[in-house]
Amino acid sequence: MGSYLIRRLLRTVLVMLGISLVVFVFVRSIPGDPAVAMLGERATPEAAAALREQLGLNKPWFFNPANPLDAQYPRYMGALLQGDLGAGIKSNIPVLDDLKARFPATAELSVAALLFALLIGMPAGILAALRRNSIWDNLATTISLLGVSMPVFWLGLLLSYFFAVKLGWLPPSGRLGADYDIQPITGFYILDALLRGQTAAAWDALRHLILPAIALGSIPLAIIARITRSSMLDVLGQDYVRTARAKGLPPRSVTLKHALRTALLPVVTVIGLQAGALLGGAVLTETIFSWPGIGSWVYDAISQRDYPIIQGGVIFAALVVSLANLIVDLSYAALDPRIQYN
Amino acid sequence: MKKLLLTALLSTLSGASAATLVFGGNGEPVSLESGNITDGISILVQRQIYDTLIDFKDGTTDLVPGLATKWTPNANNTSWTFTLRKGVRFHDGTPFNADAVVFNLGRWWDKAHPYGFRDQGRTFEIMGELLGGYKGDATAVIKNIVKVNDSTVRVDLNKPSSVLPNVLAAGYFGIASPTAIKKEGAKYGTPASKPVGTGPFIFQSWRTGDRVTLLPNKLYWGEKAKVDQLVIRSIKDASQRLNELKAGTIDFANDLTPDSLKSVQADKNLVAVKRPSFNVGFVSLNNRNQYLKNDKVRQAISMAINKKEIVDAFWNGLGVSNASFLPPVMSWANSPKVPADYKFDPQAAKKMLADAGYPNGFTLDLWYMPVSRPYFPTPKPIAEAIAADLSAIGIKVNLKTEDWAKYLEDRNKEPGFDMYMIGWTGDYGDPDNFYGAYYGANASDDINWNPPGVETLLQQGRAAATQAAKAKVYQQLHELTYNAAYRIPMVHSNPLAAARTYVKGWIPSPLGSEAFNTISVSGKK
Repeated sequence: MGSYLIRRLLRTVLVMLGISLVVFVFVRSIPGDPAVAMLGERATPEAAAALREQLGLNKPWFFNPANPLDAQYPRYMGALLQGDLGAGIKSNIPVLDDLKARFPATAELSVAALLFALLIGMPAGILAALRRNSIWDNLATTISLLGVSMPVFWLGLLLSYFFAVKLGWLPPSGRLGADYDIQPITGFYILDALLRGQTAAAWDALRHLILPAIALGSIPLAIIARITRSSMLDVLGQDYVRTARAKGLPPRSVTLKHALRTALLPVVTVIGLQAGALLGGAVLTETIFSWPGIGSWVYDAISQRDYPIIQGGVIFAALVVSLANLIVDLSYAALDPRIQYN
Repeated sequence: MKKLLLTALLSTLSGASAATLVFGGNGEPVSLESGNITDGISILVQRQIYDTLIDFKDGTTDLVPGLATKWTPNANNTSWTFTLRKGVRFHDGTPFNADAVVFNLGRWWDKAHPYGFRDQGRTFEIMGELLGGYKGDATAVIKNIVKVNDSTVRVDLNKPSSVLPNVLAAGYFGIASPTAIKKEGAKYGTPASKPVGTGPFIFQSWRTGDRVTLLPNKLYWGEKAKVDQLVIRSIKDASQRLNELKAGTIDFANDLTPDSLKSVQADKNLVAVKRPSFNVGFVSLNNRNQYLKNDKVRQAISMAINKKEIVDAFWNGLGVSNASFLPPVMSWANSPKVPADYKFDPQAAKKMLADAGYPNGFTLDLWYMPVSRPYFPTPKPIAEAIAADLSAIGIKVNLKTEDWAKYLEDRNKEPGFDMYMIGWTGDYGDPDNFYGAYYGANASDDINWNPPGVETLLQQGRAAATQAAKAKVYQQLHELTYNAAYRIPMVHSNPLAAARTYVKGWIPSPLGSEAFNTISVSGKK
């Protein structure tokens, strides 16, 4: 187990290095350069050239014959190995500072979305499997189909308009009402507010979280419900479940103790894969709901060709997805004694 | 009953202080460091924290005293002397004086300034754009910045300029506390710092991606703020800003789409606010294209586009179409010899095209912007309307677009775009800010048309001392550019804003941002 973990972590480091190279080349291969994007309508070729020079973007990518280390990639990697991701071209804000300020918002939203998806999706899937071909089954299947096919931005605007503007139950967007302020400790607003004893602010933060979490969680919910259903059906038909039933064990015990534990394995895999999907979905959800996370930030950086932010954001997202998958693999062993890592 | 309970459970726990003013901004500020920004929301937040040397009269582009009470040129406009307001202090207690002004102007203009932090990525690109370059550049307008005494600063110029005070009044150039910049170093202006000015509001906090919170400056030298707190939220999506207004979670907002006008008017809690127009949306024709080289072809194109109808259809009445590159507030610089409106006459246009040798027309590319701007809120349908008008006289139009960063780059790369949509929003109230941006030596090379006569007139305009003298120059420029028909103005739009009915005293500036110290919110629940 220990050596497996070390091997996996080493592989993650290699993957990160590979990704840093790929994203470095990739962002510079997109036509349109940061200096021109920064100048906007004012961009004359002369002004853009001067700005490019000042920003060091006119230097070679990998190798400068005059001064081998004075190229963009060696400089970037040199800084990266010291934990410095550079600073946003336009804002001058260190990318790491922005990541630190924004990641908790994305994490809070993703966790809430995943919880929403699990708490609704799993029971729905189990119910659908147990009451196969019943009205419950049909309902769950239809809703999950709807969930997968509805674009997040459209669902987001719809939710916001209906629950905030029409009914006035929840705030339309943002992370916290203008009347509250929470001094960050962990960066998770609800947690921080509770830690600081600001219950009203915690409640307000929770209310702001509900709609974006539903919007972001809708697709994972649908996927989880379907996987749970089919996996559960699969397991329920297996010999050991039949044996358990034949022995006269109560149905509840058969379902929850014997079948569910095995049926959860594919669900856990899906949750791992969804970590990446959640980050992707966060781009749209955060934009629609003015959620100050990394999704909308990287999205803006791409349209501005802000290389350091795109690079930092992609490397960071890759790290999160790798770690999520590692955790998923490790939890396999905990769920299924047949799986062992050596 | 259940619904009631749920409503009670979810509805706001009101602890609202009545005098919090909440603005819905269209994004997050890039930086709160003056001189180092160009985007609208950064300027708007900065205007609350900083004062400029010279200010604009509320709702106009006329100059009024700011931190300088007087500004006088020498006889030939090659040197300007600024008399500074006495007894003003920055929010951190640092006295405002000539040293502070020399420090601020110096770091924008002098690439070697020890506190310019250029080695750490500062660019101050707007200084180069508006004043021809930096210290020592051959094209730079400013030659030297001199402290005369504690309350007097003189700016010497390389060439005559009557627009220097207008430029320094633009929202980019707020005066910051030198003490704060020296103390905070290169992190000044980021969320990790505390920007310090002399303005009506004091910086409180900046929550990344979310909001900037400001408090009133109780010692402000001018009109003191009427609210206890000002919160500027970042809400990128225009329809979400409208939702927030309707839900009452923000008090006022800029940059709504023209098609939300009806929805705003239908809501009894909201007031639609038309910002005075200070922009121009236009279509540029490229002289490198074999057909567009022909004067008659360009004039025919101009006559074939039904600009009035397009503006009515896509701006919901929030804009005017005329034959001037300048927005209506600067109509004093228009020539009486140029008709007030472009003539729309497809028959005559068709005939003109035949006279030019193209009775059967030809094919052109029309590029439309992939982004929404106040001057072109919905570029694609507008482009389609233009294409339809042109097809009526036999010109077949291929509609094209690409990503914004590439669009901006490719328009200047040979051979450029045949026809393309672009626009401009002004920084200060001088015709030079409009004509100079798209004509003459400082303009982009997108249409390959830049006769020396234009540049001469632009220089005369910059040097002219009085408005009457200026008007004379820009009238000639108006005639010249109108007749050439390389850039066809389509619209001067009124950006749509809206406020809750209890928001009183908001006077929107044509320039796009204004200080919020005049606003009160009595009656806000």
